[in-house]
Amino acid sequence: MFGNNNARAQTSTATRRLMKEYRDLTADPLQDTITAGPVSEDNMLEWEALIQGPEGTPYEGGVFAAKLTFPPDYPLNPFTMTFDPPLLHPNIYPNGVVCISILHPPGDDPLRYESASERWSPVQGVRSVLLSVLSMLAEPNVESGADIECCKLYRDNRTEFERQVREQVKTLLGI
Amino acid sequence: MSSDDEANDIYYDDDDYGDDFDGQAGSAEDESMSEPDAEGYDVLSPSIDDLPQKKPYDVTYKVRTVQEIMDMQNREVQKIHALLDIPTSTAAILLRHHVWNSEKLQEAYFTDPEQTLLDAGLSPPSSPSPVKRTRSQHTVPFECPICCMDFTKEQVEDLTLTMGCGHRFCRTCWTEYISGKIRDEGESARIQCMGEACKRIVRPELVDELVPGELSKKYHNLLNAAYVADSPSLRWCPHPGCEHVIECHQVPPRMLNQLVPTVKCDCGRFLCFGCGYAGNHRPVLCKIVKMWEKKCADDSETANWLQANTKECTKCQSTIEKNGGCNHMTCKKCKWEFCWVCMGPWSEHGTSWYQCNRFDEKSGIDARDTQAKSRASLERYLHYFTRYANHDQSAKLDAVFYTTTENRMKAMQTQGLSWIETVFMRNAVDTIIAARITLKYSYAMAFYLVRNNDTEIFESNQTDLEMAVENLSHQLETNPEPDILMKMKQDITNLSAYVKKRSDILLDDVLTGYFEGRWKFTVTV
Repeated sequence: MFGNNNARAQTSTATRRLMKEYRDLTADPLQDTITAGPVSEDNMLEWEALIQGPEGTPYEGGVFAAKLTFPPDYPLNPFTMTFDPPLLHPNIYPNGVVCISILHPPGDDPLRYESASERWSPVQGVRSVLLSVLSMLAEPNVESGADIECCKLYRDNRTEFERQVREQVKTLLGI
Repeated sequence: MSSDDEANDIYYDDDDYGDDFDGQAGSAEDESMSEPDAEGYDVLSPSIDDLPQKKPYDVTYKVRTVQEIMDMQNREVQKIHALLDIPTSTAAILLRHHVWNSEKLQEAYFTDPEQTLLDAGLSPPSSPSPVKRTRSQHTVPFECPICCMDFTKEQVEDLTLTMGCGHRFCRTCWTEYISGKIRDEGESARIQCMGEACKRIVRPELVDELVPGELSKKYHNLLNAAYVADSPSLRWCPHPGCEHVIECHQVPPRMLNQLVPTVKCDCGRFLCFGCGYAGNHRPVLCKIVKMWEKKCADDSETANWLQANTKECTKCQSTIEKNGGCNHMTCKKCKWEFCWVCMGPWSEHGTSWYQCNRFDEKSGIDARDTQAKSRASLERYLHYFTRYANHDQSAKLDAVFYTTTENRMKAMQTQGLSWIETVFMRNAVDTIIAARITLKYSYAMAFYLVRNNDTEIFESNQTDLEMAVENLSHQLETNPEPDILMKMKQDITNLSAYVKKRSDILLDDVLTGYFEGRWKFTVTV
């Protein structure tokens, strides 16, 4: 029902909004643990983020790269976040895609597992999502897992899970 | 007889309703006669309307149009508007929040009006009106937090909006957001403010103002749908393309173990008011038809079959179907040797090769008992299922049956009969289809019935109807010589009348039986 004009208008809305979010993030960095920005200034819809593993977790010491892909109708719909290379975590799919309620569009939960307020709304943004991801790294939610094998490991054999994560962190850092 | 009277008391106490209903039925008939469908005749004509008298187990109902549904909502809203002295749109939102229960709403409102308004997502009357508040804020330029567009002091009034909760966004973002909610998520009464965790409800006037006409139409349709879904006395006609709503006040859920509230929509098709089933599932109760269809659809019977026809290797638990040979089994997988009869290890059988002499031992007897029971239950299920499926299939072929019948009616017209003289053929087909549907569900019923004298009567009624249907069906398919055409017409008309009669007898017996509590089921209803 929307013509080409509208699609272009949407993209320009997304670009303008992302410009502002980028400016805000640079002016007020997130506790120095997260940096994020567009891969190139020509395409605001592709971002890269670097996240430091939170202290006191097996992810401590690691720096993880993730790709943020924004839809043309952002911020009406959420972006997707993919860790590249993938990260071992109960809420991250084996292909690296992050599964977190704040990144779910409000309409696609037929089981009503999450209440509407926990999911995406246009007033959310890169900053609030990345903060949620940080706390997700610290406290995995095995109730609605993405990587089932990893969930089982996390639940049944915490020591082995933490060992594997540390192993992965070391490999990533090239130690 | 006494319980019969009681049933009459319950179902005829509302005379006004009965009169209204008759009027409605009359007009429905007129309509269908003035609008014959493409094939030249209206769909299934035998119906409860055609029965000479309304039976005690029939329910009174009205078929409503969407307009009438809207009027019903408006009346409720006007009542609350007058009573609580609040604007109509506020009254509507409050009513929706209280699932159209106006007593509960009044109680809540009289106890604590402010809280009631807040709970429903409205601004309390004591807070400054949205208009005033916006004026005071216009001293600074504004940036929409969603699209990051800048608005000058002068533009804020015209191009941005807040619902009085302090969350301000530009009109474009509001439109996009509300459109998305309606178009993609099918939301209507529960569209909230975009502000984080803000529960303020978007008013219908605002929706109409912001979204394009087509979507606002969809929004109002969704509001109607929500109203119907919230009212226990309303139900949409489930047939595709039909927009009617059935209103019926006689069927609270607790009555559904005594009543099969089949109703006929103005679109000419049947539905069950109790469970929303798109068809006439009489004589069987809503709960049982659901159980039966689930049983037929899922693979519980596969498991039953496995149980009846296979045994597990006692060592590795592989499932084995014995398709010949002696009782000395050797499991292909684990090479374990055992006896098929007593399931014990073969080594204990000593020298009695190929013959188990341990047949009378307790463990063997138990194993065989379970096996036999399971086999009998599977056979019983299949008995009813084949008959059910057979009638289901025949009834589904009705479209084909109609076409062939129509061709034969045309052929008869070349043999000197007028169209009106051949209509009996079509009526016979209608009768057969209706009777087959009744028969179909009667088998689902029979499967769950406990065997007793009443069941015997039920089954002999079923047999009679079955025979009558097959006779008529046979008669319809034979091509008569032209000279005995009139005799054939006579025969078919008679047989049709007989089928109808048998069908009525079966339904009568079963449905009055529910009131009398005569039927005992193997499951709880």
